[in-house]
Amino acid sequence: MGLDGIIILDNMGRPIIQSGFRSSSTAYPLLHIDTVNKALQKAASPKEIDPVLYIAPYNTADDPKPSACCHVECGDIRMLCPISGDVDPLTAFAFMQTFIDILREYFGTLSVATLRDNFDVVYQLFEETLDAGGHPLTTSSNALRDIVLPPSLLNKLLNVTGANLTSTMNSGLGHASGPFSSPIPWRKAGIRHANNEIYFDICEELKAIVNKHGTTVTSIVRGKVEANSKLSGTPDCLLTFTNSKVLSDCAFHPCVRLQRWTRDRALSFVPPDGRFTLFDYRYSPSAIMANPNDAAISARDNVAIPLALKTNIDAEDNGASFDVTLSSRLSTHALENVEVELCLGQGAGGIKCALSRGLGGGGFINASGRSAEGTAGASWSYDSETTVLQWRIAIVPPSSSWSLRGSFTTSARVPRPAHAIVVRFEISSHTFSALKVDQLKVTQEQYKPYKGVRGRSSGVVEWRW
Amino acid sequence: MSAEYLNTLTENASRLGMRLQETLSEHTRDLALTRSSAAIYLDGADDKKRNIRKQLDSNSDREKLDAMKRLIALISKGRNVSEYFAQVVKNVASQNLEIRKLVYIYLLRYAEQEPDLALLSINTFQKDLTDSNPLIRAMALRVLSGIRVPMIGSIVVLAIKKCAADVSPYVRKVAALAIPKCYELDNSHLPSLIEIITTLLQDRSPLSIGSVAVAFEAVCPTRLDLIHQRYRRLCKVLLDVDEWGQVELLNLLLRYARTMLPRPMTKPEGNEIDSDLKLLLDSCEPLFQSRNPAVVLAATRVFWYAGLPSMHIKFAGPLLRLLHTSKEVERVVLSYLLVITRVETTLFTPHYKQFFLFSDDTRQVKTQKIKVLLRLLTFDNHQAILREFIDCADDVDDQVVSDSIHAIGRCANLVPESTQQCLSALVTMIKSNNDVMVSNAVLVIKNLVQGQLSSSTTHRSTSSISIISHLARKIDSIRHPAARACVIWLVGQYCSITESSAGGGSEGIADWAPDVLRKSAKSFIQEDVIVKLQIIILAAKLLVMSTQSTYSKTLELLSSYVFSLARYDPNNDVRDRARMIASLLAGVYPSLGDEQNLEERKGVVLRREQVKVVLFNGKAEAVDVDEKDEPNVLLGSLSAITGRSSLTDRILPEWLEKGVGSSLRDSPDDVPVVVVPTAFGSGPGRGGPGSVAGGQSKRGFGNQPDVLAPSGSSSGSGPGGAGAKKANGWTADLDKFYEESSSEEEDDEEDEDEEDEDEEEGEEEGSEESESGSGEEDESNSGSRGGSDGEKVKSEEDEESHDNTTRTGTGHTTSPRQEAYAENIWDK
Repeated sequence: MGLDGIIILDNMGRPIIQSGFRSSSTAYPLLHIDTVNKALQKAASPKEIDPVLYIAPYNTADDPKPSACCHVECGDIRMLCPISGDVDPLTAFAFMQTFIDILREYFGTLSVATLRDNFDVVYQLFEETLDAGGHPLTTSSNALRDIVLPPSLLNKLLNVTGANLTSTMNSGLGHASGPFSSPIPWRKAGIRHANNEIYFDICEELKAIVNKHGTTVTSIVRGKVEANSKLSGTPDCLLTFTNSKVLSDCAFHPCVRLQRWTRDRALSFVPPDGRFTLFDYRYSPSAIMANPNDAAISARDNVAIPLALKTNIDAEDNGASFDVTLSSRLSTHALENVEVELCLGQGAGGIKCALSRGLGGGGFINASGRSAEGTAGASWSYDSETTVLQWRIAIVPPSSSWSLRGSFTTSARVPRPAHAIVVRFEISSHTFSALKVDQLKVTQEQYKPYKGVRGRSSGVVEWRW
Repeated sequence: MSAEYLNTLTENASRLGMRLQETLSEHTRDLALTRSSAAIYLDGADDKKRNIRKQLDSNSDREKLDAMKRLIALISKGRNVSEYFAQVVKNVASQNLEIRKLVYIYLLRYAEQEPDLALLSINTFQKDLTDSNPLIRAMALRVLSGIRVPMIGSIVVLAIKKCAADVSPYVRKVAALAIPKCYELDNSHLPSLIEIITTLLQDRSPLSIGSVAVAFEAVCPTRLDLIHQRYRRLCKVLLDVDEWGQVELLNLLLRYARTMLPRPMTKPEGNEIDSDLKLLLDSCEPLFQSRNPAVVLAATRVFWYAGLPSMHIKFAGPLLRLLHTSKEVERVVLSYLLVITRVETTLFTPHYKQFFLFSDDTRQVKTQKIKVLLRLLTFDNHQAILREFIDCADDVDDQVVSDSIHAIGRCANLVPESTQQCLSALVTMIKSNNDVMVSNAVLVIKNLVQGQLSSSTTHRSTSSISIISHLARKIDSIRHPAARACVIWLVGQYCSITESSAGGGSEGIADWAPDVLRKSAKSFIQEDVIVKLQIIILAAKLLVMSTQSTYSKTLELLSSYVFSLARYDPNNDVRDRARMIASLLAGVYPSLGDEQNLEERKGVVLRREQVKVVLFNGKAEAVDVDEKDEPNVLLGSLSAITGRSSLTDRILPEWLEKGVGSSLRDSPDDVPVVVVPTAFGSGPGRGGPGSVAGGQSKRGFGNQPDVLAPSGSSSGSGPGGAGAKKANGWTADLDKFYEESSSEEEDDEEDEDEEDEDEEEGEEEGSEESESGSGEEDESNSGSRGGSDGEKVKSEEDEESHDNTTRTGTGHTTSPRQEAYAENIWDK
């Protein structure tokens, strides 16, 4: 009972690497691979596949347990986690997410190529993270780094020259930093950095739905604080915010002392080394009000949408014409990497588009110092497979407006474009919550670390028409 | 001479240069090879297999490593490489850790499939169990327990026993996980395995306790009596356990609570809740802030199945948070929310907006969100939710369109005030060009109208009839067969109810009804079978209703046309239906039947009134079927997700009438709680700001004696010295420490269990901490997770016990001994 194993498929659906399966039949992993591939073939778009696929027992006499296959797509690979018996699929998904994070940390990026290059490391990671009985073992990356050495040029050099670094490091004199010697599960013992520094990135994401009258139906801002710690020794950090009231529904890294947070809303922690997510939260504009569970308040909970969209789509027989105008409501920041997506529906083709830039924000000089004039930086493309028309604008300066006009034809008599336009954007050095770090105190160590905080926000707005 | 000399010199130099270049290029070629990728192993042709055997036997580590990588690559490709087993086993004692790890990986794969060959290597593993590196010990045990030969069962039990008393909590964790495998192999070892579990349950390290819970559930799930004394400590340690262990431990504690504790009751004079249950709930509550979705759900299960309804509000926020973690998690959590909202909706009603549909949601998420929204529907929010459904009816996915239109119908049923709005929305949809939308809208309207007319309040029926007439006029544009059949049935069924306002109709039939028959008779041949069946019935109904109508002649002609077409229809059902209806009408319109055998027919001939009753009455009101989820689906079970129950599902025990006596749960661990006041008395003295900081820290890492590695000279040194040394001593060698401490204590007992050492270390730690009380830095460094008073006190207790040990000079390893020893404290 538990997670039966992990299988990694490439984008063609072929297994690249799989962990050992403790199962009566060797057909078991193959059955799961087959089921996923069949589901992928059958579905018109990957969105239609259920992430938990039920798999009927293949041999009732041998193995009466039905099983399910949980799967996640990640870049050009797909990770499968078969579970049997009565296991919460959330455990499978949580484990896969953890494993993906570990792989990312080990190899930088996660792709078929990097996995093939480092398959021996992946096998070692399988053995250390998942017991054959189906229960996770060591998943803290700081502890794992001691057991499974991350691939580095140095290691490979030493391997080639025949020097045996690993054995000396792990069994000989260096025992101080050997595996499991750290008193803190998430932090290695004896870390030394030449420069002591710690950085915090406050990343917030807005998700909102706007109805055809331009009023916000629902909006939510979730944020997370990502830290990159390069501190020596065992530092004890205390992070305080000037406006911690805007934070609600928080979830913390295990290193955070929860009681301290509940008492005076300060984060006290001994950080793991390297990158980690310190905590995530929901921005609640109404938190100043007494009772957050009051229904009346949720109306005030809406966050201002930083852009406006005017849409006009005329459906005719065998086609439609559209006219979309996007304007920024921000006054100081620019919207960056704006992507406007409209799904045109089955059988759409013959797209004609014209881009233009409206008035407003003319004199604005953007970050790179060049004047953003004309339609430079705007482009459109159409993906006939997903039938998505995409309109990209690199930078939308404050209070400027842009428009896209065009038409398309459909093979069906009645065009069925999606009833919503999805706008994605980023705003750098800006947060919706205006969360502000008051100070970071580092105790237990002598040095004065260099500290840095920056904000970044992104958004997905669904504009119905 | 000198020229000659110079000549040889240059010659030699150039030769040397060439040699250097050669070796260099050779090395760099290797370098480029390895650096470019290990993928060459994966892509490599199979003909290299020949070399593997030679490589494994070679003396060079590099060759061996290369061979092992090749083997692993072959495994990855799905080849059976068990033929190399003998060669691989030879390398199990390699000095190179990397080779050794790869060998272990190889053995773990083939130990199961080639148990006989694996037996060859048992000696090596047994030797490895005593290795100084905990990693090697753990891996050896893992391979050993993976070999499926019942013969070695007792060896495995011994190995587990040894590792269960290991100094490293990591090894103990692996030992706990090996127990289920051993049990699976040979269940005759049950008694000794239970004994090991009992020992492991005492473990003070939070690292291994989660795996012990796994072993417990797999081997002796019914022996909850073993938990009694550890229950309170397990609750307290919950927060420090690693996230996967938390999940297992929460499930175990929930089962314990349901079996052993009295059920909590909500009473007007105040809630009645057992103090031990409250302890579980209180220590479980902080876990809602875990970043791991599985932990949040396990905590939710505890509150849902063991908490009072008034406490359920605590998991509402955390569950909603999970919806934003990832698409897959969202899909699973929504299924669980459906299980919860079936019983309790008020928790999530204020947050209904979080369930609005995004266009990039997956299909499952969308349909589930619609279901959840229906559950959350109240009078206050019906406007917003209905608008959302109407918006979603435009979705690109047909499944979602159909679901949201059906939801609109349900909406009208649940909030009767919204009926008008729903109907007008549905009627607008009928005018749409979208086929799917129209057909679904018609089906829903049918159900609504039927429901309304059967509840028959006059003003409503007016609107319903006008909707039917509207549908009747739109019959040409309704192409979906099911929808067409449905409209035709509606027209036939309600053609008789005419109102003066609807007007126009002559006695008994609305004026739009005969027109529908005319149009459908014309297209009869092209219609779908279900539509044909309904046309026949419509014809019959109209005939029966129009007694002296002016249409009567036309209707009769139309009907006989329909009936004669139907009689020669290719479909059986249609022919049978036509024959049946025709003989039903034999008394009213004999001309419809088969003329030839009209005279010969026998039996009852029905009169018009009787035919009417047969045709019109007894139509059951169609109910829009609600999702048929099973009532006994458990939160956090696979069947809640796949919708299929299986026999292997966990069953949550029902509450007992009364819990078992709480004194059973008193354990030596809890004893010092009584002494709390004294401990506190000394608290401020130990004091300073540092200890305050330490006290605030909830998650700490002190007081977990065996995770912590104190410096070598722990005992004996003065308070200040201990503090300073300890601060540097984080990285000290564990094993060395044990050696030293034992030698210092002049402990000659060779066979003393290592578990014992552990505890002594704990005592060391405890005493040290209190000694170095004034050194704040060190205090909060070791982080004494003091927030809970009990913990702080524990160190006190440990100190006492230390005294005790030194006085009596006896070790204490197993629980009975410890208990006896606890009594000693009592006696004092």
